[in-house]
Amino acid sequence: MSNSARSEIFARLRELSSKASEEDIQRDRRALGSAPAPAPETLEICEAFLANVLKNHGSVDCAGNRSEAVKAIGYHLYSHFRSHRLVAGNDRRLAAMPWRDAGVLPRFGSLEVGEPVALSFAQLGVAETGAIVTWTGKANPAANNFLPEHHIVLVDTADLVPTMETAWARINQEFKKNGRPRGINFIAGPSSTADIEGVLVYGAHGPRKWHVILMGKVPASALEMARASNMPA
Amino acid sequence: MEQHSDSFLDNASAALKNTEQAKRLDMIAVFAPQMRTAAVAGFKEFDALRDHVKRIRQHSLDHLEHYLGQFEHEAVNNGNHVHFARDGEDLNSIVLDICQQHDARRIAKGKSMVTEETSLNAFLQRAGLQVMETDLGEYIIQQAGETPSHIVAPALHKSADEIRQLFQAKHDLGARELPETVDLVGEARQVLREHFLKAEVGIIGANALIAENGYSMLVTNEGNGDLCANLPRVLIVCTTIDRVLPLAEDATAMLRLLVRSATGQSQTSYTSFYSGPRRETDVDGPLETHFVLLDNKRSEILAGDYREMLECIRCGACLNHCPIYTSVGGHAYGWVYPGPMGSVLTPLLTSLEQSQALPNACTSCGRCAEVCPANIPLPDLLRDLRHEESVKKLSAPRWRFGLKAHAWLARRPSMYHTVTAIAINVLHLLGRKRGSFSRLPLAGGWTSERDFPAPQAKTFMQLYKAQIRQNDE
Amino acid sequence: MREQNQEQTAAAKRLQVAFFVTCLADLFRPSVAFASIKLLEQAGCDVTVPLKQTCCGQPAYNSGDYESAIPMAQQVIALLEWADYVVLPSGSCAGMICHHYPKLLDDQWRDRALQLAAKTFELTVFLNDIAGVKPQGKPLSRFPTVAYHDGCAGLRELGIKEQPRNLLREMCGIEVSELQQSEACCGFGGTFCAKMPEISGKMVGDKLSNAMATGAQILAGGDLGCLLNIAGRARREGQNIEVRHIAELLCNEIDTPAIGEGS
Repeated sequence: MSNSARSEIFARLRELSSKASEEDIQRDRRALGSAPAPAPETLEICEAFLANVLKNHGSVDCAGNRSEAVKAIGYHLYSHFRSHRLVAGNDRRLAAMPWRDAGVLPRFGSLEVGEPVALSFAQLGVAETGAIVTWTGKANPAANNFLPEHHIVLVDTADLVPTMETAWARINQEFKKNGRPRGINFIAGPSSTADIEGVLVYGAHGPRKWHVILMGKVPASALEMARASNMPA
Repeated sequence: MEQHSDSFLDNASAALKNTEQAKRLDMIAVFAPQMRTAAVAGFKEFDALRDHVKRIRQHSLDHLEHYLGQFEHEAVNNGNHVHFARDGEDLNSIVLDICQQHDARRIAKGKSMVTEETSLNAFLQRAGLQVMETDLGEYIIQQAGETPSHIVAPALHKSADEIRQLFQAKHDLGARELPETVDLVGEARQVLREHFLKAEVGIIGANALIAENGYSMLVTNEGNGDLCANLPRVLIVCTTIDRVLPLAEDATAMLRLLVRSATGQSQTSYTSFYSGPRRETDVDGPLETHFVLLDNKRSEILAGDYREMLECIRCGACLNHCPIYTSVGGHAYGWVYPGPMGSVLTPLLTSLEQSQALPNACTSCGRCAEVCPANIPLPDLLRDLRHEESVKKLSAPRWRFGLKAHAWLARRPSMYHTVTAIAINVLHLLGRKRGSFSRLPLAGGWTSERDFPAPQAKTFMQLYKAQIRQNDE
Repeated sequence: MREQNQEQTAAAKRLQVAFFVTCLADLFRPSVAFASIKLLEQAGCDVTVPLKQTCCGQPAYNSGDYESAIPMAQQVIALLEWADYVVLPSGSCAGMICHHYPKLLDDQWRDRALQLAAKTFELTVFLNDIAGVKPQGKPLSRFPTVAYHDGCAGLRELGIKEQPRNLLREMCGIEVSELQQSEACCGFGGTFCAKMPEISGKMVGDKLSNAMATGAQILAGGDLGCLLNIAGRARREGQNIEVRHIAELLCNEIDTPAIGEGS
C-alpha cells in the first residue's frame, strides 16, 4: 500500500521538477549561502553563553577546574536536597572527576523513580542560544535529560561554540568519528509551558530547575557581566 | 477532523457572546504582538533571515523530488522505516498497522496538527487503542472533548478555572484543590508521566526533515515530544512531504524565525533531532522507528497558484495579529487551521465550497503578511480565493450582482454622476438634521452595528461642476 | 521682461497635479476634496480635477471580482497618466493604484500602471514629503485634543505614519494623542463590514473605545471608509467624539458638522 502511494507521490513530484542534475541542485543550494545569525551582545563567548543561560531561566556557576566543579555540584545538591547523591550518565569524563573533593556520591546510570537530580556533561554549549548539546548514548540517558526535578549540566569552556551552525559543524565531525547518534538534544532551559492562560510555568514534564556549571578558563568578569545584562533595565 | 467551516458566521456569533473566551483572546491580541516585536527587535538581521529562509524553502520545493528522495535514503540508512501516505486514511492505516504489529495498547502522543487533519486519534481509538495526548494544551482539550483553538497553544481559549473544573471531573484528586496554575501543571505532569512510562508506542510530529542526514527536528518547551521519542519501544514520526529541507543549518535557520514568531522566545527549551532506533551504545530509546510522510494534497498545491502556502512553518503569528481571529477565536473557523493561514489552507485541503466564508473573514489589513516569517502574501492569496469564489459563482448573488452593477455604472462617468447625485441628494435631505441613519434599505449589514452617516451635501462632482460654470460666467 | 521671466520660472516650478477625489469623498464628504485642493494649491501646485472620474475599483477587486475591477483600473490609468503627479485624499485608494493595479493588470497595461504608481501619492505623503513647499496652514480656531487612526492600507502598503502627525504638528501646532492598538484594523474592510457585521462591530467598537480612552475631542484619519465606519459607531453608541478627515483639520474646517453629525 505504502509502495504504490510512494510511486504516485514521486511520479507527481517528478512531473513538477526541473529535472536538474544532483550537481546542479547542490550548486544552487551552495549559491544561496548561509543564514545570518544574531550578533552576540558581547564578543566574549563565556559571557554570551552564561547570559543566555540566565535568560533561559537557568542558574549558573563557574568553576576553574574539575575540583571546583565537583564542589559546586556538591553545594547545589546540599543546598537544595540536603543530600550528596545524584545520578550521572556513564560519561568517562564524569567518572574521572575528583568526586571525593566534595564528598559527592554519583550513581552512574539512568534516572530511576525517586531520584530527583541528574547530572550530565554536555558535549557542546551554544553561546547564541544558551543551549547545551548532548547526544544519545550511555553517557546521556534520556531519562537523565528529561525526567529529573533538577538537571545539572557541566559544560567545558573548550566545548563552547558561537552559533547553531558551528554546533552542527562539530556534530558533523562527531558523525564522521562515531557514526550518527539516535538523537541530538539542544537543551536551553528547564521544561516549561504557557498553555494555561499564557502563564509561564516550569517543570511541565521535564526538569523544573536547570543548573549549568561552566568549567575551565572563564574570564573573571564573565559571570558578573552576564548577570548584569540580565537585570531588568 | 470533522469540518464545520460552513457555519463560520454562526460560530463567530456564538464566540462573540462568550465573554470568558473574549478575555483570553484580548490577552493574545495585546501580548503576543508585544512579545514578537521584542524578540524581533533583538535580532537586527531578522528581515535578512526571512529573505534567506524564503529562498531556501523555494529551492527545496523546486527540487522536492530530489530532497524527499535524499531524506528517504538517509533515513533508511539510519535504520528507520519510511512510509508514504497518499491521504489521511492512508496515514491512519499505516500507523494502526504498526501499532497492531507490536500489540500496542497505549500510545503517548506529542502535538501534531497533521494528525488532527487525518483524525488519527479517533481512528486508533475506534480500533481499541488508548491514545494520550501529552502536550499540556492538547491533553486539556482531549479531556474536554474539544478541538484545538490555536495551532501553537491549543487550549488558550480555556480559563484556569475551567481547566481546574475539568481536572476535578476527570482526575482522581481526592481532597486536593489545585488553587494555582502551577498546581494544575504539576497535576498534569504526574498523570502524564505514567503514560510516558507505560506507552508502547510514541507518536510525534516534526517541524522539519533534514535531507542531508535523515533527521527530523522537533521543537518544544515542555519536552513531552522528547519523552514520546525516547521512552516507548516504538516511535512513529508523522509529517508532510513539504517539510524537507536540504541541510541541518537550514533547519536551524528556520528555527530562528519560528521561535521568535511563535512565542517571542529566542529559542525553546528543547530542540531535538531524532533518526533511527537504539544503537549499540544507547541505553534507551525505541527499538523500532518509523517515518510516515503524508501528501494529502500537498503535491497538488505545489503544482498550483497557492504554492507559497507550503512555506508556512506553523508559527501562529498570523493568528495572533489577525483582528478577526482575536475577535472570534479558532473554533469559529471550523477545522484544524484557523486565522489567516487556516483561511487559505482549509479551502485547499478540504474544498472551497465547504469553506466559503473563510477567505471572506478578512479586511486585507495586511498585519498577517507583515509578521509572517515565511513572507507569504496571505492577503493576496485570500483575495485570489475570493476571486475563485467569484468565478465559481459561490458568493451570494446580491453581492455579485451589486458589484457588477457598480462597476458597470462606474465605467460610464456621466451616468454615474447623474445617478449618484440623485441618490446622494435624497439621502442628504432625509438625513441632514440627525446626521446619520439608524436604518437604511439595502444597508442592513452596516446598520446592524452602526449608524450610516448622512452625505454632507450634494456630491463633489455636482458642486465642482457648478463652480466651473460660475467661473466661466 | 525680467518680470515675465520670473513669472514663467515660478509657473515652471508649479507641480502639475491631477486630483483623484475618491468615490467616498465625492458622495459623502466633498469638503475633504475641496480642502485637499486648497492645500495642494497652497503647496505650490496647479491642480486639475479630471471630470470623468468615478471609482478606483477597490470594492470589486477586494471582493475578488477581478473581471469587473480591470476595466475600472484601465479607465483610471488612462484618465490620470498624463499628469506629473496624482494625489488622492485616501490611503486605500492610493494603495490600490500604487500596489494593486500592477498586480491586477498584465503586459502593457501593467507597464502603464507601474508608471502611474511611481507618481501617485496619498495627500499627507505628498504634502509632507514631495511638495517641497509646506502650506501655510491656518491657526486653529480652538485647540482640541486629537487622536489619529492609521488606516491599514496607508500604513502597510504606503508607510504612512509620520506624515500626518508631522503636518498636524507643523501646520496646526497639534501633538497627536496616540491610541492604544493604533495599528489594529477598525473593521471597515470595504465589503467586510456589511458581509460580517458582528465581527466588524466588535472591531469598530474596540477602535472607538480606544479613541475615547485618549480623551480626544477629535478623531482624525486619512481614509473616509474607516472614518465613516467609526463615526457611524460613535453615533450609534451616543459618544461625543468628532470624527474628521485630516484635510479638514489642516484647513481649520473644524467648526462644521463632523462626520455623521447633524446640521
